[in-house]
This record gives sequence, C-alpha cells and structure tokens, in this order.
Amino acid sequence: MKTSAVFSTFLSLLSLASAASSARDSSTSTTLPATFKPPQVFKNLNLVHVISAEKNYLKESINVLIENIDKAPQDEYFLPFTADQMSRLGGVEVKDRKDATAGLFVAEPVEFDQESDIQYLRIRLPKPLAPGAQQTLGINYYLLKAYSPLPVAIKQEEQQYLTFTFSAYCPSAYTTTKQKTDVKFPSSNIPDYTKLPGSGDIQEFPQKQGSKLTYGPFDEKPAGAVEPVRVRFEFNKPVNHVSRLERDIEVSHWGGNVAFEERYTLYHRGANLSSLFNRVKWQQSQYYQPTTFALKEIKFPLRVGSVDAYYYDVIGNVSTSRFRSNKREALLEIKPRYPVFGGWKYPFTIGWNSDAKNFLRNTATGGFVLNVPFLEGPRQLEGVEYEQVEVRVILPEGAENVKYHTSIPTSSITEAGVQIHKTFLDTIGRTALVIKARNLVDDFRDRELIVSYDYPFMASFRKPLVVFGSAIAVFMSVWAVGNVKLDFETKK
Amino acid sequence: MSADPLHALASAGKAKSTRSVLRVVILALIAGAAIASRLFSVIRFESIIHEFDPWFNFRATKYLVAHGFYKFWDWFDDRTWHPLGRVTGGTLYPGLMVTSGVIYHALRALTIPVDIRNICVLLAPGFSGLTAIAAYLLTNEMTTSNSAGLLAAAFMGIAPGYISRSVAGSYDNEAIAIFLLVFTFYLWIKALKQGSMLWGALCALFYGYMVASWGGYAFITCLLPLHAFVLICMGRYSTRLYVSYTTWYALGTLASMQIPFVGFLPVKTSEHMPALGIFGFLQLLAFLDYVRSAIPSRQFQTFLWVFAGGSFGLGLAALAIATSAGFIAPWSGRFYSLWDTGYAKIHIPIIASVSEHQPTAWPAFFFDLNMLIWLFPVGVYLCFQELADQHVFIVVYALFGSYFAGVMVRLMLTLTPVVCVAAAIAVSTLLDIYLTAKSPKPVEGQPADGGDGAAKKAVKSGLKSTSKPLIGVYGLYSKVAIVGALTVYLLLFVLHCTWVTSNAYSSPSVVLASRLPDGSQHIIDDYREAYQWLRQNTREDAKIMSWWDYGYQIGGMADRPTLVDNNTWNNTHIATVGKAMSSREEVSYPIMRQHEVDYVLVVFGGLLGYSGDDINKFLWMVRIAEGIWPDEVSERAFFTPRGEYRVDGDATETMKNSLMYKMSYYNYNKLFPPGQAMDRMRGVRLPEVGPSLSTIEEAFTSENWIIRIYKVKDLDNLGRDHASAAAFDRGHKKKKATKKRGPRLLRVD
Amino acid sequence: MRWLPSFLSVSLLAAGSLAARKSSEERFKTYHAKSLSSTPVKLGDSTYRELTSTPRDYTVAVLLTAMDPRFGCQMCRDFGPEWDLLSRSWVNGDKAGESRIVFGTLDFADGRDIFMSLGLQTAPVLFLYPPTVGPHAAASPDPIRYDFTSGAQQAEQVHSWVARHLPDRPHPPVKRPINWVKWISTFVILSGGLTASYVAWPYILPIIQSRTVWAAVTLISILLFTSGHMFNHIRNVPYVAGDGKGGIRYFANGFQNQYGLETQIVAAMYGILALSGISLAIKVPRISDPKAQGVAVFVWAAILFVMYSFLISIFRGKNAGYPFALPPFM
Repeated sequence: MKTSAVFSTFLSLLSLASAASSARDSSTSTTLPATFKPPQVFKNLNLVHVISAEKNYLKESINVLIENIDKAPQDEYFLPFTADQMSRLGGVEVKDRKDATAGLFVAEPVEFDQESDIQYLRIRLPKPLAPGAQQTLGINYYLLKAYSPLPVAIKQEEQQYLTFTFSAYCPSAYTTTKQKTDVKFPSSNIPDYTKLPGSGDIQEFPQKQGSKLTYGPFDEKPAGAVEPVRVRFEFNKPVNHVSRLERDIEVSHWGGNVAFEERYTLYHRGANLSSLFNRVKWQQSQYYQPTTFALKEIKFPLRVGSVDAYYYDVIGNVSTSRFRSNKREALLEIKPRYPVFGGWKYPFTIGWNSDAKNFLRNTATGGFVLNVPFLEGPRQLEGVEYEQVEVRVILPEGAENVKYHTSIPTSSITEAGVQIHKTFLDTIGRTALVIKARNLVDDFRDRELIVSYDYPFMASFRKPLVVFGSAIAVFMSVWAVGNVKLDFETKK
Repeated sequence: MSADPLHALASAGKAKSTRSVLRVVILALIAGAAIASRLFSVIRFESIIHEFDPWFNFRATKYLVAHGFYKFWDWFDDRTWHPLGRVTGGTLYPGLMVTSGVIYHALRALTIPVDIRNICVLLAPGFSGLTAIAAYLLTNEMTTSNSAGLLAAAFMGIAPGYISRSVAGSYDNEAIAIFLLVFTFYLWIKALKQGSMLWGALCALFYGYMVASWGGYAFITCLLPLHAFVLICMGRYSTRLYVSYTTWYALGTLASMQIPFVGFLPVKTSEHMPALGIFGFLQLLAFLDYVRSAIPSRQFQTFLWVFAGGSFGLGLAALAIATSAGFIAPWSGRFYSLWDTGYAKIHIPIIASVSEHQPTAWPAFFFDLNMLIWLFPVGVYLCFQELADQHVFIVVYALFGSYFAGVMVRLMLTLTPVVCVAAAIAVSTLLDIYLTAKSPKPVEGQPADGGDGAAKKAVKSGLKSTSKPLIGVYGLYSKVAIVGALTVYLLLFVLHCTWVTSNAYSSPSVVLASRLPDGSQHIIDDYREAYQWLRQNTREDAKIMSWWDYGYQIGGMADRPTLVDNNTWNNTHIATVGKAMSSREEVSYPIMRQHEVDYVLVVFGGLLGYSGDDINKFLWMVRIAEGIWPDEVSERAFFTPRGEYRVDGDATETMKNSLMYKMSYYNYNKLFPPGQAMDRMRGVRLPEVGPSLSTIEEAFTSENWIIRIYKVKDLDNLGRDHASAAAFDRGHKKKKATKKRGPRLLRVD
Repeated sequence: MRWLPSFLSVSLLAAGSLAARKSSEERFKTYHAKSLSSTPVKLGDSTYRELTSTPRDYTVAVLLTAMDPRFGCQMCRDFGPEWDLLSRSWVNGDKAGESRIVFGTLDFADGRDIFMSLGLQTAPVLFLYPPTVGPHAAASPDPIRYDFTSGAQQAEQVHSWVARHLPDRPHPPVKRPINWVKWISTFVILSGGLTASYVAWPYILPIIQSRTVWAAVTLISILLFTSGHMFNHIRNVPYVAGDGKGGIRYFANGFQNQYGLETQIVAAMYGILALSGISLAIKVPRISDPKAQGVAVFVWAAILFVMYSFLISIFRGKNAGYPFALPPFM
C-alpha cells in the first residue's frame, strides 16, 4: 500500500502534465471539415475482431496489423463507427501489441458534422509510422445498451433471449486484406444467427464451437465494407443498466475518515413481463428453478476495512441487506425491495466509511495524496454498465492546489473541474473535485483515482475556531437575554 | 409553608442563586429525559415518519420547504381526491409545517443543513421538552412549593398519555399543540393574576399559534370563557379578569381569523359563541361595576344584579334564536358528537369509524396515567383549600378535561396536562409535609403551635377539613414510611411509563417488527415494498384507489394520486370507494372507469395474521357506502343468516362476490396444498376454489402478502365484456397473454 | 260517511270468499276507507291474504308483530307506537289516498298461519308489497323486507325507507303530536322548584356556597369520568356478566371493554386511594396528638398501599403481560 502510494504520488505529479497536454490539443485540433474522408494511407494486413457478449454489454477488441502505404510517415489511424454506436461507445483503449512499454495511445472521437452517420475515432500513434513500416494495434472498447430482448415480453418463469446486430466484416476506414470475427456468448444456446455463404474450404459461415461463433476468415474487403449479421442468444440474467451513478468521496482530516456514498439509478433493460407480476409463481419458482432474469441480489465487494455500511432508497432504510466486514473482506450484499424485472426501475443509495489511512498519504512537500478507486460498483456475473458516472471528491475546507490523475481511459472522461461544496458548519465551503465520465462498465472497477492537494495548517483550524466563537456568542446572547428578562420581572 | 426544606435553604440567603441554577439544571435534565424517552422507535427502527396523518404533514412540509410560504398558502393539490382535488392551503392547520419549515431554514442559516425528514421526525420530542417546562411554569403559578413545578415537569415529560402522540416520528399537529395548550394556559393564569394587558396579549399570541396548529384549539376557546364565567358566578369579578379576558379575546379572535381554515368561524359557529357571550357579559359587568361604585344603594345593587342576570339570560335566548334561524351554524359534527354521544354513530359513521374517536375504557386511563389517576383528585381537592382564581381554573379544567377524555380516547391528550399539574401539587404537598427535618413539639391544646401561617390559612380556608390548624408530623417513622412509599410509587411510575412507551407507543405502523425463532428482530417492510414498486414502476399520474386510511401514505411514499385520503372531508367520495369495494365486479368496474382508476390497493393480513387489514375494516366501508346508497349496499347482506361475519365457505354470496373479498383472497389458495388454504388472521379455512377476477388483474403482491395491488383492465380490445374475455383467456392463456397484453406493458421511460 | 259502516260489514262478510273476485281497485277503496277510520288496519289471516293478493295496483305495508307479552318481544312493543304514529300521520296527510298505500298490522295472535306460511321465526318484520299492475307496478310481486338490524327504529327512519320505495308519489311527513302533559309537568315542576328555592333561599345559600359540597361534587364526577363511566353510557355495556358456570364475572377480560359494576369498583378504589392521599396530606398533619397521628399515618399508608397493589393486580388481569406488581397482590 505504502509503496504504491509513494509511486502514485510521483506518477501523479508527472502524469498531470501529459493529461493536461492531451486535453489541450484534443480541444484544438479534433474539429475537421464536414467533408472529411480519412486518407487511404494505411492498409489492414491482418485483422481479428473479437466480440464478447458474455456480459450485458458488448466488449469488443480489434487486433490489427497495419502498414503505412503512403509516401510520408503517418501518425493518425481512423476507426469508423456509426453515430449511434459512437453515443454508446466507451472505455476505448489502444496499445501496441508488440511492445507494452509504449503505454496507451491517445484515442478520441473526431468531431465533425453530427448529421453524417459515420463518425470516426482517431488514434494517434506515439511516433509516426514510416512508409512501409508495420505496427500491430490492439484496440479494446465497449458498447453499452447493445442488446434488445426478443421476445419483448415474456412470462416471469420463461427464459430471456437477447439479440443484437453487428457487421461480419470489421468496419474499417482502410482496405482489409484478411480478417475474421469471433463472437463469444454466455451459453451455447444460440437459437438463431445469420448464416453467410462460405469461402474457401468452409462452405458456410459462421462456424459454431460451443458458445462461440466465428465468421471468417474473409479475403480482401474494401474500406467501409459491412455485412450486417444478427444473432439471438439466451441470456437468462438481469440486464443491469445504471443510467446514472453519483459517487461521493468525502475526506475528513479531523475525523481521520473517508466517507463513500453512491447513488444508483438502476434499470433493467431486459424483457418485460407479459402478464403482470404474480407472487405465487415467484415464491414457487424460488424453490423449483431459482435462475431467473429478475434481479434479486446485488453484491458490493468493498475495500477491506470498510465499516458501517448503509443502504436506503427514496422512502427510507431497506432492511434486506447484509454486510460482512473482517480482515479478509468487506462484502455488502443488498436485496432490492422487490425483484426487478425487465422494464422496472430501482434507484437506491449505499454508503460506507473507511479509515483515512487506507487511502490518504501526505507527501514530503507537506501536501496530501488521496488514492481511491474511481469506481466501486457491484460485482455481478452478468456485469453492470454505467451510462453516466459523476465522481465527487470532497476535500476538507480550505484545501487548494488540487491535481488529479486517473487510470480509466481519458476518452471516457467528459469533464472535470473543482467546485465548492457547502455542508455542516462550513463558512467558505469545501473544495470538491468533480469528474464526469460516460459509458463505463464494471471491468473498470478498482481503476484508481489519485488526487493530490495542499491543506494549509491554518485552514485545518478554521472550523474549531468558528464553532467555538459562535458558541461563545450564543452564550453571551443568552446571558444578555436572561438579564433583560430579570429586569423586566423585577419591574413589577 | 414553613415546612418546606427548600425554603429553609433559601432563607439562608446566598443559597438563592444556587437554587435557581439547580432548578435550571433539573429542568434541563427533565427536558432531556422527556426527549430521550421518545426515541425508542428511532433506535429500534430508523428515523421514519409514523402512522398515517404524519405522512401528509410531512409531504406538506416538503412542499412548503420546496416552494416557499406563499405557494404553500394557496396550494391546490390535484394529486388527492381525484378528480376533485383539494384546496390544501385553505383546509389545513399550517402551524406544524411552518414551525418545522422555520427550524429548517434557521439551521440552514447556521450552516447546519439537517435533512427536513429528521427535523419532522424529531419535532415532537423536542416540543415535549418545552411542554415539560411549560408545565413547570403553570404549576408554579398554582402553588408556592417549588418541588411542585419540577414534579409537574417530570410527570408531563414521561406521562404516557402525552407520549402516545409525541414519540419521535409521530409528526402530527398534537406534537406542538400540547405545548401551546399548556403555555397558553400559563400565560392566561399569569395575565389573570396580574391583570396585565401584556400577558393577555402574549396569551392571545400563543392562542393564535395554537389555532394555527390544531383543531383542538376549541378546547381553549371554551375553557377560558368557562373559567371566567365560573369566577363571575363566584362573585370574583375583578378588573384583572376584565383586562386579561378582553385583551385575550379581542386579539386572540383576530389572530385566529387569519387562518384561512378558521376564517369567520369564530363569529359564526356555536363552539365559539361562549367566548363571545362572556366577552359581552364582561362589558356589561364592567359597566354595572362602575355604576355600582358610583351609586352605593342596596336596592339599586340588587336591581343591577337582576338586570345582569336577565341580560345574560336574554343573551342566551338570542343565541338560541340565532342558531335556530341559521345565522349561527349549530355544533359541527365532531364537536357535537362530544355532547350527544350517540350522534356520530347514527349520522356520521366516518367519525365513528375512527378508532381514536371511541370512548375510553378505564384501563386506558390507568394505562396512560398510572398513579397520577388517583393523585389527580387529591390535587384537585388541595386546590379547593385556598380557592384562588388559578385554582378555580384547575378545577374547571379538571372537570371538563376528564369528561372529554372519557368520551374520546384521543382527548386523553388534553386531560394529561391538568392531571400532571394536580398530581404534582398533591405529591409536593405530601413531600413538603413529610420530607422535613423538624418536627413540632408535642404540646396539647394550643393550635397556635401550628405556626401563624397555618393559623392564617385555617382562617381563610373554607374547607371543613382544614378548619384545624396545620401542626406537622411528629414521628420520624411515619415520615420515613410515607416518603418511602412515595418513592416506591414514583419509581413504579417511571418503570410503567418506560414500559408503556417502549411496548405500546413506539412502533411506526409503517414497518412491522416480528421476532424470528432465534429471537432476533425481523422487519416486515411490505408497505414500503409495495409503495416503492408503485413509485418506480407505474405511470407518474396513475390513479390509485384504496380505502382512505392509506391515502396519505400513498401520497407520501408512493407519490401517486389517490381517490380518498385521511382528510375525510367528502363523505360521498369515500362512500363511492366503499361502494366500489363492496359491490360486484360488474358494478364496481364502471365506477372505477369513471374515476380513471388505474390500480387498486388492498391490505390483506391473512397470511401473516396482521389484524389491521381491509377485511377487518370492510364493514365500515359497507356502512359508509350504505349511508349514501341504502338500496344498493346493505350491511345485512354481509352477515350470514345467523348474523355472523364470515369469510370462509359459509360467507354470504354478497361477501364472496364483493370486490374487496375477491381482491383479498385472489390466488391465495394456490399458496397452499389443495383445500388447505388458511386465513391466519380470521383463523378459518378458505374454500377449495379461490375467487376469480375478470375486470382487474393482479399487478403486484408484497412479500408477506400484506399489500396487494391490482390493475384495472382497459376495455376489451374485441369489445367483449370482461367476464367472457377472462373466461376465454383461462381457456388458452399462452397465445393470448403475450399477444394481447404484451405491448401495453412496455412502460419503458 | 254514513254509508261506511254498512259497506264495511258487507266487505268484511265477503272478505275471505270474495277476495278473488274483488278487483284490486275495490280492495284499495275498502282498506283505504278502513284505514281512514283506524290505521294501521288490523289484519287477520283472511284479510291479509285478500289485501296482498295479486293483481294489485297499490302498495301494502304490513308489520308482522307479536304484541302479546307472552312472546316477550320487546322490540315489537317498542316499535308498535312508532308504527302507529307513522301510519296515522301518513294517512292523515293523504286522505284521498293518492299515494295508494295501505298500512296494516298483523299480530301473531290472529295471524299464525301467515307467520307459518311465510316461515317467520322472528318478529317484528315489516313487509312492503309493491303493486303488480298499474303505473307503479314493480317487477316482482314479492314483498320487500325491512330488517330491524339495529334495534327498534324511529318512525322517521322507516318513513324514509317507505318513501324510498314509493317514488313519485306523495310522502306525507311524520307528525309527532306535541306531548302537552310533558310540557305542562315540566313547567309546573320548574316553577315549583323556583318558588321553593326562593322560599328556602337562606338555607340553600350556605350549601351552594360551601366549598366542601362543591369539592365533593367535583371529585365524584371526576372519579366517574376517569373510571370509564362515559364508556358504559355510550356503549351501554352490561352491568355484570355471568361466567359459564353460573357465577358472576365482575371484570370483563380484554383491554377494550368493561362492565358497569367493574367501573364502579374501580371508581371506588380510586376514591379510597384519593381519600387516603387527602387525609395524609391534610387531616393527618392536623392531628395534635402524636400517638393518634402516628396510628393514622400508618393506617392510611397501609390502606393506600394495599389498595394500589389491588388496583395494579386487577389491571394485570385486564392487560395480560403487564409486568409490574406490588405486594400483597402479586
């Protein structure tokens, strides 16, 4: 822990610069003319597109060997998406498959006219690729709200089936010589999927091994070639969608305590109930066939050392929760008030405390460094997707010179800033660092958020002084009033 | 009272300040105890609003805090009494909400942003602390013994009769009203004793506050004039009385008329007439008094008195005529039912149906007041010793308080303060006599030995029993015996209060607690489960039909429009719901359609043995409906020929076909092996085949089946009537179910 | 109305046999005439059948009752006068018989067969036979039954019920005759009392002005109220109830109900407790003889203690699970 903290301090100090720089030029130079077409300067020699539909979001990874077929060295590789996909795209991470030391490449959406259906994601290679040179890119990203249930409404004891559409040819802005697409499913029960005429020794695509479909390999395809494919598969688990997560992290130096509170707006995107909820059937199904697509329980593995967790919703405390906290684990298991079926909502709030020394370090320069997980959502088999995440780090009153670094993909952070948060006994208000992110998934839980700030010695004494002073004032006034009253009575 | 040890201390001179400090400290401790003893429910469950009415007050308070005072003042609430709506701003007592609103903003200003819910939950305990202090002040006006005030404060703080309506979370008007009641009385006594206009004005001010807070203000409105009248009859008319009463009445009436809900009632309705009459009578007396002082002549005086009596009688007659002629509204239902106790049962079943309007059996008195109940007469008797004006007040208050408390359980609340005061006087007298170090020297014969103070009292006291002078207690043993016994009683009292509070008055009827086999507490949270489901998974403006008891909770927790709620201002509308519940589906479906009902909510305790369910309240629905539609609904038809009220196989056809019965037991028998379905509440076996529903369908049922929600079907797509459509579905469900109801359920938002 | 008696005799002779042949119009005339002379018409088996025979174009309201003290039907005797009052004021209000209703009474004594045929065990029963022909004809000829669920009814309530079933016809209101005797007697008593009090004023005055009297009155009424007297008054509870085995139960079990005697016992106990409290507070310290005082203290204290413990024990009986107790009644 200590080493990591020390490391993180240095990391933060140096990385802030880079983050800042990337922020700057992304703000300046990503606006392109409406008539923009990516120059045909690259060629995809070999491309493997892996789509994983195991969780209730799509995890896609494109491993592509690219070659610069232009005269000049190039450093901008474009990846096309439909506008709709772009809005649901998140957690883009690009790296060089060959050398891990290169770190993550900068990848951000290109902004040009919103009308056009094709939007581009620009990947900046760290150093320009010389003509004829080759490089292997590993591109990982997630697509949220990827599925739609089919049938739309089922009985509460029936199985749930989801469906989604993708292109058998990986969408690319460049000519692709050789490619194939793998699709992974949670179970081998895949009733229907589009079949394509085969090529070469394979007479029909896709090939199905267990819970995996393979389209391809295909031979050379021009830029922008698409072959829509639709699959329908069994997914008898809840399709959890958190449309908004507000996560507050409040640091108290006097209390030596870090308080977490998370407000979820949970929504089940799965199949609706064809006939309304029937308690009898539900209670029976609990015995006979416990697997259901309704959300019955949510598990939050918290950091070890978390204490006094709470769980409530709009109308008060919810008693159906268990919290185990000991040396090895701190597990919060909560049950919704009612089983959440498709189309049902269940917003709720949880919170817990933890000792500050698990997260807080002070640096040699007298400042402080806070190292907390950016995201601590539930860990569910079926996964959880977050459309909007707002993390607020509330620092003590008078904290200044706030810098942050986080290890979640920079492209998912929409905005970040420092605000003032006023609460108990605050005179000037507390410094709050607010980070807004979008389209995250639970794979990113435990990505760390490092905040460094200075907390002057005098600032730490503001509150006690204020309280003391006001108390004195109150006593004085009471005394005065008492005297007045006395005089008034003696008058008679 | 030379026997008073504290006085002895006081006479030591410098001890005075210490005594006042001591008193303040003790008072603070008492207030603390009063608050602490009301926190059981918060500790056991959570900081939650209790019962039914508090949920409306809470909702109104949130509205006030959110939209500001003026919006609140003319707030038309279209989410209740659908489709009528309710002019909430003009039909409530705003005092409670405004109070907590002010506290809320004050704390904000002090940079202590406390959640409004917590303020509402803790308001009642906080004010109970103030009530204790008010009781202290009031009692100090009654007697010279210092211990009396403190005892009264302590009694007031922990007497169950008051705790019953002021535990943490019972956020109701009474929460602050009792404090205002006691404090107004204190100010009244103060004004009367000093004949001071200032105190009179203060009294009027707090009277106004009281009027803004609770309908029970009429108790003050009737008690003060009565006190004045009794004083006059005792020939105790004085300028002090004149000044204090006129000040109070003039200002107080003006203040009360500022409340929209009260408006011009103070000059229009009978329950306010005594105050007005006495006001006029006092003017007359003042005039006569002046004349008498001017012309000292015996006959003339007698003539004057006759004149006074005559004019008083005339006034009464005029009042009677005006009432019969309809210039003055006769006694309104609730008040009238206090006098003519049979009235409500016949004419206003809705009032009779409320449990807290039932008469009080003696165990309730003992339960709520324990030993105070027999100390109370002692204190009243002691008031007769020196019958000063304030003692007359206590006597009058005691009489009427006990009468009202006997007629209505709820009015135990107004009795408790005077009981506490009287009992405190009694106990303190005993203590003053027996808890003193010095004993008189046994000298026979000379009453002068009793001390001159006692002699004086013996002279002026009119009671036969106090004709002999006060001597004091000789034996040490007797002192020890009495003091010891008193201590035992007091300790027992404290134990009793704690026990009652923790067992009887501390459960927030929203959350039920049960014990698991291993003795651990298990919380049954069905109400909120269902309300949360409604709140999250139904349309924002889905109309919910339920019996009026749950209207406020649905409005507060589920945030959905309701047809009727606990503000039972429209009997017909309630009767409509009652009719829909107690008639056959074919009858009630049109009613529900006409009122745009989307969901019907019933409470069913059969699985858990929960007594407060709708089947047990059903007869009231029937009665209230019968009051409006005697031909269509008949209570008789729900009783078996042998006059039993049954729900099992032998239930009458009307019962079995009533919507309420069907909704309660629909699908219930599927939970048991065939033929084994038991209603654990009524303890009866249910028929083999459960009821079938055609015009509504089960939408949600909470975990323990306490709340069952049904969805009212649309008109059938194929224009069939629901019965046949339902029959068709039962025939082959699979195909139709998904096709017919699939798209309508897509309520994704 | 000279021809009336003869007509009556004829009709009465003919009644049983001619019933079938008589048209409903005539029947109504007959019985309306009867009711003009004396209403409600006193019916027997035959007249009852005739009156209610179909077709009829008028309404019949019959009270089947058992006035004979042998049957001990309290409700019948309570409701009888009300019924007479109702029918009388109705008929007087509608001499022309526009409302086309006949009020009748059938006593069990002279109508056994009817009771048997209708299979009636209980009395009183009020039947309303709707007309089967004519403008107001009802769907079914069967009578509508008024059930006396909540005790004997007032004439007004029954009137409203009848009126409900006779739409668009005149409903003469119930006229209660002024009870002159009552008024006069009250007036006399009142004036007498006034004069008496005026004469005896010097003797009454001290009583009125005596604090002790007032104190006694106040205390007694307080004790009454706080011991649940109003509950008895409103719920009119039984004075005592017998337990199964011939004995008497003085205390109702259950927190929410009580017997009359029970409340009086409780009131007495409160009284004794209060009395001992008062004497300890006022009488005892005024006893000049030390020994007497000592004795008094201990006696009163003992009474207080025992009585209180007894009270608590009774309360425990009412409220199961009440944990506290004082010796000796543990």
